[in-house]
Amino acid sequence: MKTIQKYLGTVALAAISLFACNPLQLDEIIDPNNPSVESISNNASREQIQFLITGLEARHRAYVFNVTAAWGAFGREAWYLNASDPRFQTDWLGQGGRTPDRAYFGFGVTGGGSYASPYQAINQADVLISAAENAATLSQTDRSAISGFAKTIKGYQFMIPANFVYQNGIRIDVSDPLNPGPFVPYEQALDFIKTVLDEGDQDLVAAGGGNFPLRLTPGFNGFNTNAALRQVNRAVAARLNAYRKDWTGVLSALEGSFMNLSGDLNAGPAHPYGAPPDAFNPLFYVPNALVTTMIVVHPSVLRDATPGDLRVANKFFERTVAPVTVTTDVGPLVGTHQDSRWPVNTAFIPFIKNEELILLKAEAHANLGQTAQAVEAINIIRNAAGIGDYTGGTSQAALIDEILYQRRYSLWLEPWGHRWIDARRYEKLSEIDVSFDGGTVFTQFPHPQSEVNWDNYVGN
Amino acid sequence: MKKFYRFSTTLLLLLLSVGWSWAQYTVSGTVTDERTGEPLIGATILVRNTTTGVVADLDGRFSITVPGNQDAVLVVSSLGYISQNVNVSPSLTSVQVRLREDATNLEEVVITGLASTVKRSNLANAVSSVSAQELVGTTNIQTTDGALYGKIAGANIRMNSGAPGGGVSIQLRGISSLTGASQPLIIVDGVYINNSFQRTGRASVTGAGGSNQDDGANRLADLNPNDIESIEVLKGPSAAAIYGTRANAGVIIITTKRGSAGKTQVSISQDIGFATPLRLLGVDDWSEEKINFFFPEARRPIELERYRQAVATNTFVDYEDYFYNNTATLSNTRVTVNGGNDRTKFFISGNIVSEDGTVRNTGFERYSVRANVDHKISDFIRLGVSSNYIRSNTDRGFTGNQNRTGASIGYNIAYVPNYYDLRRNADGTYPINPYFSENPVAVTDHGINNSVVNRFIQAFTLDADIYKSANSFLRFQLAGGMDFLQNTSLVYLPEFLQFQRGQANPGDVLWGKQESFNTNLQAVMVYNWNLGRVNMNSQVGLVRLDFNNDGLFTRGSGLAPGQLNLQQATVQEINQQFFSEVQEAGIFLQQEANFEDKIIGTVGVRWDKSTLNGDPNQFYAFPRASVAFNLANFDFWGSKTTFSALKPRIAYGETAGPVAFGATFTPLGGTNIGGLLGSVVSTQIGNTQILPETATELEFGIDAGFFNNRLGLEATYYIKNTQNNIQNLNLAPSTGVNITPSNEAELENKGIELALFGTVVDKPNLRWNTRVMYWQNRLNMRRLGIPTYVSGGFGAALGTFLFAEGIAPTTIVGTPADPNNPGGFTIWGNSQPKFNMSMINNFTIAKNLEFSFLMEYRKGGDNINLTSFLTDAGGTTNGWFDDDDGDGIPNGRQRPPAPFNNAGRWVQDATFLKIREIGLYYSIPKNTVIQTFGNSVENIRLGASMNNAFLFTNYQGYDPETSTFGAQSVANNVDITPYPTPRRVFFHITIDF
Repeated sequence: MKTIQKYLGTVALAAISLFACNPLQLDEIIDPNNPSVESISNNASREQIQFLITGLEARHRAYVFNVTAAWGAFGREAWYLNASDPRFQTDWLGQGGRTPDRAYFGFGVTGGGSYASPYQAINQADVLISAAENAATLSQTDRSAISGFAKTIKGYQFMIPANFVYQNGIRIDVSDPLNPGPFVPYEQALDFIKTVLDEGDQDLVAAGGGNFPLRLTPGFNGFNTNAALRQVNRAVAARLNAYRKDWTGVLSALEGSFMNLSGDLNAGPAHPYGAPPDAFNPLFYVPNALVTTMIVVHPSVLRDATPGDLRVANKFFERTVAPVTVTTDVGPLVGTHQDSRWPVNTAFIPFIKNEELILLKAEAHANLGQTAQAVEAINIIRNAAGIGDYTGGTSQAALIDEILYQRRYSLWLEPWGHRWIDARRYEKLSEIDVSFDGGTVFTQFPHPQSEVNWDNYVGN
Repeated sequence: MKKFYRFSTTLLLLLLSVGWSWAQYTVSGTVTDERTGEPLIGATILVRNTTTGVVADLDGRFSITVPGNQDAVLVVSSLGYISQNVNVSPSLTSVQVRLREDATNLEEVVITGLASTVKRSNLANAVSSVSAQELVGTTNIQTTDGALYGKIAGANIRMNSGAPGGGVSIQLRGISSLTGASQPLIIVDGVYINNSFQRTGRASVTGAGGSNQDDGANRLADLNPNDIESIEVLKGPSAAAIYGTRANAGVIIITTKRGSAGKTQVSISQDIGFATPLRLLGVDDWSEEKINFFFPEARRPIELERYRQAVATNTFVDYEDYFYNNTATLSNTRVTVNGGNDRTKFFISGNIVSEDGTVRNTGFERYSVRANVDHKISDFIRLGVSSNYIRSNTDRGFTGNQNRTGASIGYNIAYVPNYYDLRRNADGTYPINPYFSENPVAVTDHGINNSVVNRFIQAFTLDADIYKSANSFLRFQLAGGMDFLQNTSLVYLPEFLQFQRGQANPGDVLWGKQESFNTNLQAVMVYNWNLGRVNMNSQVGLVRLDFNNDGLFTRGSGLAPGQLNLQQATVQEINQQFFSEVQEAGIFLQQEANFEDKIIGTVGVRWDKSTLNGDPNQFYAFPRASVAFNLANFDFWGSKTTFSALKPRIAYGETAGPVAFGATFTPLGGTNIGGLLGSVVSTQIGNTQILPETATELEFGIDAGFFNNRLGLEATYYIKNTQNNIQNLNLAPSTGVNITPSNEAELENKGIELALFGTVVDKPNLRWNTRVMYWQNRLNMRRLGIPTYVSGGFGAALGTFLFAEGIAPTTIVGTPADPNNPGGFTIWGNSQPKFNMSMINNFTIAKNLEFSFLMEYRKGGDNINLTSFLTDAGGTTNGWFDDDDGDGIPNGRQRPPAPFNNAGRWVQDATFLKIREIGLYYSIPKNTVIQTFGNSVENIRLGASMNNAFLFTNYQGYDPETSTFGAQSVANNVDITPYPTPRRVFFHITIDF
């Protein structure tokens, strides 16, 4: 029996030493991979605020590919040919009578890059503003600058879901994730966005002169002073005011913007891209690549081009190898021209630029009946494109047609879907040419399924 | 397990036989086989309700001392025989016992808990057991899970693709979880092993999508199936409650072989075989008419020219045939050494598997060594250790889904017409593929999709007898082990490939390094005692589990020619790094009571806590209770000759399913832009209140035996209800957050399992054993708790799944929208089979010849066949250009139902009949062996077999069992150009020394 006891003692000792602590005792496991959101809500350090600002720039560019490829296809600026998933053709072009539903291909139940992503940028902006307010290390002018920047981005991002679901309306009160406000009509949403942008503008005024107090990415090179960020804010406001049909508002916003009638048409802030750990420019395709996934220029854009237009020469590359042909169950589509705006895959993508501002000026004047000023602005664009002064009719309708035509080429496949929105603004969706694909042009999207589900869930 | 049981019983009885008491008498006798009359060496004789027992000697003789002067009952048993109760008394001290073979396995000992086993005839649950013979006795199967096909009633086993090296999903009694894969817990010799589908990176490099589209293997593939002695499957909470938090989807308990005392036995086996595709579909031919129909006008001249040239030179390439219809060689080499003495016993095995795939440059290699050693430290303390080192090397090639890159053979077969020759040029270059993004021949020749696993699994069991008396004993068991797994994965597409040349940085390499380390420890006190005529077994114990994972994936592009090292890449990227750590602890109590094998009852409870839960310190209780009545053992039962056993049984139990790691966190993600690091607010809000998913199951059934238990019947009905099922509550995306995990859903699985088995023919020259099984499961979402939603697959346009109250989540819905249905889409099908049937047959002819086969029939269950979708888009579906309705539009552009643009076109019935296993074996007669080889060779066995021999189905795919998303609880039936399932043919030789 003594032997047994000895063995048992040994076993017990071994067991105890092997598991020195109580085997029923569990350690506290904190997230080994990420910091928590709570860590920045109270008294964040300057570095943490910096990370949130950079995070906002990252969220700010999340919409780019989806909006560019999809809205570009809706407005027939381009086709996204994709042999791996034919639905980029069949569904996005509304072929075979397909119409958008609440979980449509490419957007899912959340609306994806055209809806959820911009709202994530908005949420990031809100979290940033609130973290900055609670960060004792920041001065009041620092906070104003941060708030002004965040609201500028927020205003820009709000326009994306608003234009995606259009007359269905969007939510504008989204600060409490478990208690979002109601959907408001398109026009009311745009008015709300105006107040966001105007507040941002005032915040940037309150921030005083000098450099923006924290680091922005090189996408804001030339725009990283508080004053220059105000100009960006006003540029975004000009675009918004055009949607609001507030033409004097467009002109006054342009006054405060970085518009420069004699300057570089491409000047403007951009989404930066780069090699990992950054992301490459998602719109870049190697010229003549022998692949079956590519954004190609829509044939109607090529057909309607003015001879000698430098924009056509600069932006479109005619493949010298076989065209990209993708056949779906509806039939084949052929792309002969590629997008040649991006020399390298690290090229930045501007999100608002001088050329658009000048076109907004023309549009505002045209709508206000200020024909001469409208034509003057149009001619800046035309001469830059090498197609000479405008010689057409000067009725308001003719001028609008001309401006919309110039916008097709000046703003071709910007990350915004300008053509689709422009045609809708002027009730010209029927002028978008679907003869090449036999599809339809969508007017707007229904609310994503998750939005409807949430209202069902809380019983609204 | 049986050997281990015999070993431990023997030990136990030897130990116990030392006991003595005041009054006693001695009984002696013999134990023989009823049919042959041969002595049953090692048969155990136990005085019922005492710890007194002995073992029969070489002549089957025994002598046992019975305490007291009263009548007593001897329980005589021997492995593989039906045990017998023999009445003895001081006046009846000489007995001749003849035992009958156990054709229906009623005497089999089944592991049912953390430290308990029970005789099958006393089970209150429908626990399925699979013996080594059943598992791998018919043919050679690559992986253990694959070898369970059709052998377990209630198990829905699905091979995700035909790629070598595994990738199998097992769902027991429907699904218990809406997230994750609802896969059972797997325990090997007491070790909680890692059976995850680890990321390989294939889906990233080919653009297919998330890691669930990697088509990787689950890591049970590492275990050598031939090392397994038995597998017990606890199919639901009623049987698995004592396993607590991780047992919602059932528990699979694997026991490996152990040594036995006596002469050292060496056995060498070699299997040689070949594999060919089980089923190919053929591709559509082309004609000038078809070209003119299919291609846009500008493209027609070049296509017609290519076609005419192919006609002129008669070079048409059937790409399906070219890529898939190859013969692969298969080899499996095994050596086992088994022996020992009464103190130390060992089982050592080595295994080399080397199997090619039917696609060139694919294959699976596994090297496994195992040492299972049992040692008696003293008369009271026994130590068992099981050590297993494995190295698996898997090349799975490029099939299945992809996006952009063209790096999938199947996609290319779908898009490339047979008149265009993609085969390698004489100068080593590859023709450009004008129909898709890549030359698949080049990818097959030079692409790499490899995973090398190094793994060590170590188990130990320490048993100590602490106290014993004449009719009770107390045992302490400390058991545990660890599973260390390291997986190095590599996916590589070289820089000269067509698609890569079209990239800014040609060439792509993704290296993964993953490590997982699981440890578990269990301490149990087992007290066996008697309460009157009731034998009691009391247990109390504690369990501790730790799971650690980390992974690092690095990626390079813009590669120096032929280089795979990341430092030879222009662009170097940390693709992913993750860590996870989970700790769990539990305590349990269990009480079993056995009234003379007439009434057997069990009650137990386990309490568990886990760091995965919202409150890591909260214990959750999982009770169980069961009772079985062996009516035939009661005195009122008359003759047992015809109706020999009848056992109604009922069992109830509760278990849980773990919360996914990270569900409680609301992280700030890291992101880089413009040279700066950003923190982004997560789109998931953590749920710090999250509860584990729980399940309750009520199971009842009847087991019956007929004709001296020559035939048996098991019938079981179960209702498994789950609560607190976790699913992501979709928040309004306008709030910038998309999801938060919720505990709202409740599922119900109801099902029937029937098994009829026994010896149909039992003649000296022919013995026919059969087992016929039928099972069905009906799934229902009893409560959703959150808004109806659709999820899974590739969206509504191509078929997705409906999560709505009162509807099975396996329901397939899709376009067009139908506002009358919950979820807003048309209902097109259901992936859950209506029922499954399987039949196992075993014939022994003239003692030396054995023939067996296994077939499985699955009725119903729809797949989403997107292979058809792709081949229709590419005009290559066999019969594409036929026009059945004669309207001038070919079938390939007009798949029903009208108007030919909805998701219903791709939802297809996946009913099938498969002959899964066929085997024929011949043991060379002993005399011939001795004449030829002398006494050095004990036995020689030759055989031939087939795995996946035949498939009968109307389904338009390589295999109705396929899953492009791997193992998932739902949406595990989407077909995208998978690796075709191989038919495997083997020749076997085993020599025992």
